[in-house]
Amino acid sequence: MTDNLTEKLILSVLGQVNDPALKKDIVSLGYVQNLKIDGSRVTFTLALPTPLFPSKEKMREDSERVLSVVPGVSSVEISMKTEIRMEPNARGVSGVKHIIAVGSGKGGVGKSTVAVNLAAIFSEYGAKVGMVDGDIYGPSLPIMMGAKNAELQQNERGIIPIEAHGIKFMSMGLLSKGSAPLIWRGPMAHKAVQESLLRVDWGEIDYLFVDMPPGTGDVHLTLVQTVPVTGAVIVTTPQDVGMTISLKTFRMFEQTKVPVLGLIENMSAYLCPHCGKQDDIFGNGTVAGEAQRLRVPFLGSIPLNKKIREYADQGMPLILVDPLTAGAYVDIADKLATEIYVRSYNKKTLIIEEEPEDTADAFAV
Amino acid sequence: MMTESNNPVAIKKKGNHSLEIKWEDGHVSLYSFRYLRQHCSCAGCVEEWTGKKTLNQDAIPLDLSGLKVETTGNYALSFSFSDHHDTGIYHFDHLRAICPCAMCKA
Repeated sequence: MTDNLTEKLILSVLGQVNDPALKKDIVSLGYVQNLKIDGSRVTFTLALPTPLFPSKEKMREDSERVLSVVPGVSSVEISMKTEIRMEPNARGVSGVKHIIAVGSGKGGVGKSTVAVNLAAIFSEYGAKVGMVDGDIYGPSLPIMMGAKNAELQQNERGIIPIEAHGIKFMSMGLLSKGSAPLIWRGPMAHKAVQESLLRVDWGEIDYLFVDMPPGTGDVHLTLVQTVPVTGAVIVTTPQDVGMTISLKTFRMFEQTKVPVLGLIENMSAYLCPHCGKQDDIFGNGTVAGEAQRLRVPFLGSIPLNKKIREYADQGMPLILVDPLTAGAYVDIADKLATEIYVRSYNKKTLIIEEEPEDTADAFAV
Repeated sequence: MMTESNNPVAIKKKGNHSLEIKWEDGHVSLYSFRYLRQHCSCAGCVEEWTGKKTLNQDAIPLDLSGLKVETTGNYALSFSFSDHHDTGIYHFDHLRAICPCAMCKA
């Protein structure tokens, strides 16, 4: 009986399991790896193109379910791993698979905090994560990552990024210490951003988050002109009146063909530390409604939490210590990661072909 | 505004004289590099506030050629021309708008 178990049979059964986001089966997507059949025991690895967020367990469970009814199978063992695929047009920053811009319409919406916690949650769930402090005028990453005294070093491949909480990051804040301000004109800002992206020895990075300055300006233009950005996330608060300001940021990404991967509503409600109840001090539902109107995904809401400031000042991303906040971020990160790989999957690589002279064409207009 | 059809699906540099772009909607545009150089919209060729062309199009040499074609981010192409000009960023929308074919010009 057990002789009948063949790789072909197992793969055809697993072909019934779909990746819910792509609506394609996990075998033709290449997720099933290292398939081994030992008598009646089946083992394999599910290599997923996202970090292993809890929702991804469903593919494992579905696989176990379809295999459990196959005659001759006594046990199924499935391990999971992250195997993020390269953005089809990625080039420029070597070793970096995806560049994600985190932007906002105005300052003070908690963009850097959201960026740090997003990066931390991606890293927690198995991705290799990097961050660039694009806010060259008010760099906050060194403090938020708990590495404000770190010294940048260089090797023959470039600047060595600082590593904290498993995240590699680069910030102009590390170059100008303390309260000395960076007073730069456009061209300097342009150069600074290019250097923080290109002159860094990133090693291998799945997701590089770029914390953008608020609004639309030099840094934004430089970023979208220097590298192919996989997409952008826009952080806003429900109180950003009619979202008019964030809308400008949205249009800027649109004009430079950077897909907006979604909106995140920060400070959606106040969590009372005494009774634990939520209070929608800035209103509720406005951002989700706006996302629907703009036809971009609404990635989720993050409630205001007093601890966020305390931990940010100590250089500790809140998701690492507060399960409630972590929960909100896991949902957001899961949706974001899905959005990223679905888009990359459907995108074709754009190549510039070179063809020798064709005399007829030489006389084209 | 982003229009989906203004995305190239194939770009071909034909020798040093012309560039062919196939668009998402199937349209094919063929440009000479001289024509592209004449339609540069960089700050040195077009006045930024008024949009007035400051470049003398007729002064571009007839035998001007294109040395390098590169993508800029997700949304544009940039060229190095044989007259050492390389500061223009050609948004895909701009390239589509200046397509020299008879159908687009009509």
